[in-house]
Amino acid sequence: MIQFFHVYKQYFRSNEALSDINLSIERGEFIFLTGASGAGKSTLLKLIYKEEEPSKGQILIDSINSTLIPPGKLYKLRRQIGIVFQDFKLMMNRTVHENVAIPLLVRGDKKAAVEKKVNSTLALVGLSHRKRYLTSHISGGEQQRVAIARAVIGNPKILIADEPTGNLDTELSIEIIRILEKINASGITMIIATHDMNLINLFPKRIIKLDKGQLVLDKANEAV
Amino acid sequence: MKFMARAVQQALNNILRNKTVNFLCLGIIAFTLLVPGIFNYISFNLDSYISKLSENIEAIFYLREDGNSADIEKMLQRIQGNLLVKEVGFTSKDRAQMKFTQEFPELQYILAEFSDSPFPASINVKFRTDARNVVQIESFIRDIEKNSIIESVQLNLDWARKIAMIKKFASFAGFFLSAILLIVSIFIIFNVVKINIFYRRDEINILRLVGATDWYIKTPFLLEGLILGFLGGLLAGGLLLVTIRVFPVYAKFIFNIVKQLIDFRQLPLRIFWEMVITGSAIGLFSSFISLRRFIKTTPG
Repeated sequence: MIQFFHVYKQYFRSNEALSDINLSIERGEFIFLTGASGAGKSTLLKLIYKEEEPSKGQILIDSINSTLIPPGKLYKLRRQIGIVFQDFKLMMNRTVHENVAIPLLVRGDKKAAVEKKVNSTLALVGLSHRKRYLTSHISGGEQQRVAIARAVIGNPKILIADEPTGNLDTELSIEIIRILEKINASGITMIIATHDMNLINLFPKRIIKLDKGQLVLDKANEAV
Repeated sequence: MKFMARAVQQALNNILRNKTVNFLCLGIIAFTLLVPGIFNYISFNLDSYISKLSENIEAIFYLREDGNSADIEKMLQRIQGNLLVKEVGFTSKDRAQMKFTQEFPELQYILAEFSDSPFPASINVKFRTDARNVVQIESFIRDIEKNSIIESVQLNLDWARKIAMIKKFASFAGFFLSAILLIVSIFIIFNVVKINIFYRRDEINILRLVGATDWYIKTPFLLEGLILGFLGGLLAGGLLLVTIRVFPVYAKFIFNIVKQLIDFRQLPLRIFWEMVITGSAIGLFSSFISLRRFIKTTPG
C-alpha cells in the first residue's frame, strides 16, 4: 500500500529531516508513528500526501511512484488520502455540515448523496446534533471530530492523522482513537502521528518510531 | 453547470465579503474605462461629422490640351477601379463650353473671341462617404495628379484635413490615456484578487488537500475578476451616458461650438458594449495573472 525506499528529506540549509527511511505499510494497517518533537513525523506524513517532495528515494502509494505524479494530477492522490491535521484546518466561518461536505463537493457529488453521506459520517463521529453549528462555536474535541469526519467522508484508502489528540485531555484522546479504530475496521489504512506514549500503550498497534529523522523502531505493540 | 453555479456563488460571496475593497476597485475600474470611453465617443462623433461633410467631396482633374483619348480612357478606368471612388464623369472641352453657355448666357460674348473652346476637358470624381477615407482620398488624388495628362486638380479638403487631425489627436490622446489607465486597472484588479486569495489562503490550502482540482479553486477567483470588470464596464457605460446628458446643460457656453461635432442625444450601443467587454476582459486577465502567481508561489 505505502512503501518508502531509501527516502531522504532535507530542507533548505538545514539538517536532514528524514534519513534513509525504508518501510512498508499494508492495506488496512493501524500504525502509530511516534517520536519526539522534531523527529520527522510530520515530514514523513507530508511526504505521503505529497505536500513535500523527498530529496532522495522513492515513495510508492498503491504501487504508483508518488514523485512522478504531476501537479495537475495531484488531486487524484489526495482523494485517496484523508488527512486530520494537528491544527484541524477547518473553515471556522462555515458550519460543521459545510466543513464535512467539502471533500464530496470538490468531486462534484450530487446534493442528495452529499447530504446522506454527511449525516452518516457525523453520526459515526457522534456529531449529528452539531450539524448546523458554526465550527467556531463548538469545542476543541468536537472540532477534532469534525476534522476526522471530513477526512473519512470521501472513503479514502489511507487516513493520516497528525497529532490528532495533541490538544485534547486523556479521556477525549481515547475517544478519538476509538473513533479512528472504528474507521480502521472498515479497511482504511490508518497512520497516526503522536508522541503520547500512554495512549500508544492503551492500543495494541504497530509502532514506527523516528528519532532525529531516522527510523529507530518498527514493531507490533504488545502492551495493553 | 453545478460547478459553474458554485463558482459564481463563491465569486459573488468573495465580492460581498470584501465590500469596501471591491467597491473601491469597481469605482476605479469604472473611471479607468470612462476616460477611454469619452475619447472613443468623441472620436466616433468626429467620424460621423467627417462622414457627413464627406458627402460633398469632389475632385476635378483638368486635363492637358495634348492628352489623347486613349490616355484619358485609361485614366478614367483607373479612377473608376479605385474603391474610394463613387462616381466618375468626363467633361469634354465642348461640353464644358456648353455648360458655361447654359449657366452664364450673358457672358457668351467672351467666347465669341475664341475659335475653339477655351475650357479644358476634365474628369469629375465623387468619393464614397467614409471619414476614414479622407487621408486615403488625398493620397489617391495626389497620385492621379502626377499623371502627365493632368494639368491641375481642384478640390477642397482643408476642412476634412483639420477635422481628421483633431480626430487623430483625440484618438492618440485617448489611446495613450487609455493604455495608462488600463494598466492601472489591471494592476488594481490583480491586487484585489491577490488580497482575496491571501484572505482565503487557508481555505484554498484545505481545498487542495482534500483533492480539489486547480480549476475548482481558480474558477471563483477568475469569475470574481470577470464580474468586477463587467460591473465596472456597466458602471462606466452608465457614467458616460450621464455625462453625455449632463454635459450640454452645464456647458452651454461651449456647447454651441461642439454641438455640431458631437451628437449629445445618444450613446452608441457599440461604445457601451466595448466598455463592458473591455472591463470584463481586463478583470479576467488580471485575475488570471494573479492566480498564475499564486499557483507558482503556494506549495501543495
